[in-house]
Amino acid sequence: MRRPTAVTWRCFAFSGRVNPQTLVLTVLTLAILMSVSGLALYFGNYPLTTAEISTILFQQGDETPDIVIWYHRLPRLLVGIGAGAAFGVAGALIQDMLRNPLASPDIVGFSSGAATGALFTVMLTGSSFWVLPGAMVGGVLSAAFVLALAWNKGLSSARLVITGLALSLFLMALVDIMMARLDPLTAADIMKWLVGAFPSPEWGDVVLIFGALIILGPFALWQGFALKSLALGDDIATGLGLNVSTTRLKILFLSVGLTACAVGVAGPLPFVAFAANPIARRLSAASGAGNGSPLLGAAAVGACLTVLADLVCRSLPIGADLPTGVFTAMIGAPLLMWQLTLEIRKGVI
Amino acid sequence: MKTATFPLSAGGLTLTRPVGTVLDDIGLAVPRGKISVVIGPNACGKSTLLRCLARLLRPDEGEVLLEGDPIDRQKSKQVARQLAILPQNSTVPEYLRVFDLVARGRTPWQSPLSQWSRGDALAVERALALAGVEAYSLRPLSELSGGQRQRAFIAMILAQDAPILLLDEPTTFLDLPHQIELLDLVRKLNRESAKTVVMVLHDINLAARFADHVFALKDGKIHREGAPGDVITEATMRQIFGLDCLVIPDPLHGCPHVIPR
Ligand SMILES: Nc1ncnc2c1ncn2[C@@H]1O[C@H](COP(=O)(O)OP(=O)(O)OP(=O)(O)O)[C@@H](O)[C@H]1O
Ligand SMILES: [Mg+2]
Repeated sequence: MRRPTAVTWRCFAFSGRVNPQTLVLTVLTLAILMSVSGLALYFGNYPLTTAEISTILFQQGDETPDIVIWYHRLPRLLVGIGAGAAFGVAGALIQDMLRNPLASPDIVGFSSGAATGALFTVMLTGSSFWVLPGAMVGGVLSAAFVLALAWNKGLSSARLVITGLALSLFLMALVDIMMARLDPLTAADIMKWLVGAFPSPEWGDVVLIFGALIILGPFALWQGFALKSLALGDDIATGLGLNVSTTRLKILFLSVGLTACAVGVAGPLPFVAFAANPIARRLSAASGAGNGSPLLGAAAVGACLTVLADLVCRSLPIGADLPTGVFTAMIGAPLLMWQLTLEIRKGVI
Repeated sequence: MKTATFPLSAGGLTLTRPVGTVLDDIGLAVPRGKISVVIGPNACGKSTLLRCLARLLRPDEGEVLLEGDPIDRQKSKQVARQLAILPQNSTVPEYLRVFDLVARGRTPWQSPLSQWSRGDALAVERALALAGVEAYSLRPLSELSGGQRQRAFIAMILAQDAPILLLDEPTTFLDLPHQIELLDLVRKLNRESAKTVVMVLHDINLAARFADHVFALKDGKIHREGAPGDVITEATMRQIFGLDCLVIPDPLHGCPHVIPR
């Protein structure tokens, strides 16, 4: 018998099956990410040569260039990578859990919930210190709200998407009302963040988003195993011993947590969570894998999209000063339309 | 592990839906190591009963006992190691290959850290061979015929390696020779591996031929149960299906043979 093209690995009691093509594609995406990251360090208003950059990174450099790299470009790059990866995983988790590519955190209202929560705390406390808890609470509240409305003897993904969209629109209106009460200068800053921007992140933000990835990431990968049977439908998944409702709740919580952290450091960055998984999946399905959720691939694609969008954003002539989210939307929106067309043709909607 | 008299039993199962009562105070005990077949007209609640037995549906009242203990109080993964179900209709991702589907059957024996042990690989090979799907094990499900798909699903639950099999119309989409082949396989599993089987079959004559025990269901109630020779009679056929028929002994197998008038 011809064996499936998968590499089996076993080590003591541990074992798994990896599709070599998926592996190659993930490595390839990571390579692309590395190159885009290199470009992101290289390009900027302050001209630096590659030799200077490597000196700064690995030894001690001059003062100004040192600051440019260590306090501007590097944290910004790392926040982009971290937030993009977090969005990618958050999107993949919930899309695959609901078996619906439209059900990503930015579509079902988690992102706007987190953003509204963050904005609300900024307005209440007057500082950005509580942004993250605010985003967390906002994300969880909106998730709970959407769930409560969409839940009817189980979670239908169509209901979830529609309820989430409605909530997103409502929250947008709420944000507009809050913004009207701010002074124009602050409002302009916040507006940018609401579209998704991280113009001058601090190292604290880097620590935060990577901390979230390190803590929640393994749980997400753990749930990736459950996602494999969940892909076969609720009945078969239950038959195979999965506790479908509990698994759903765990995955939702992980997705909301990752979304909230990413929103907290980088704003909602539209379409990253939405587009990362379908791209990763299409890459691996095209190579005949179709085995489980490509969470790592989605993380890599999400990071790539974000860093690329941010690079485009930074490379524009000075003065344009647009938020990064504009460019993630520019890349993501056409993807959304393409995905919708596919779904409509398949008769899912 | 203690052994209960019946591997799977239910008492007082009641389920009401807006359309009416689907299951009406059903009590049943599945005989160990036998092939039980549930028969009854369309919409009488066969699938619902099977789904309740497999904890896919929670009944409004009553409970299901697996090896003597309430099924919903046992760990789902432990239940899955003892009981495998093939639901009536299932939609799975089209791009999935038969091999990967069958491999999924190993889930209750795996964990996120051990996703492909030697035992898993062996069980999948065996299941592929038993269900006769080796020839197209690398093709995606979307490229298969209805019958081929059905056999792929059979292979999946065989890979699950559970002593109790619940099959909801496993012969759907199969032509007559393949129906017989599949039921022969079920019988072989039952006789050689002592599997307890509960299945829903539409074809009464196949039920009569392959069943050790028959449950005749109508309007959510079990009207008669027992050996095929006792249940599949002209009177029961009239009562359950409203079918006017002649029942003669099958000249080849000796089981009852129903000839509608
Ligand atoms: N989810 C549901 N919601 C409402 N009614 C349902 C649901 N599932 C089943 N029913 C109803 O329960 C009754 C029994 O359905 P069931 O699927 O158990 O029948 P069945 O005996 O398996 O029929 P068939 O031979 O066609 O497979 C039917 O009247 C059906 O309309
Ligand atoms: Mg049925």
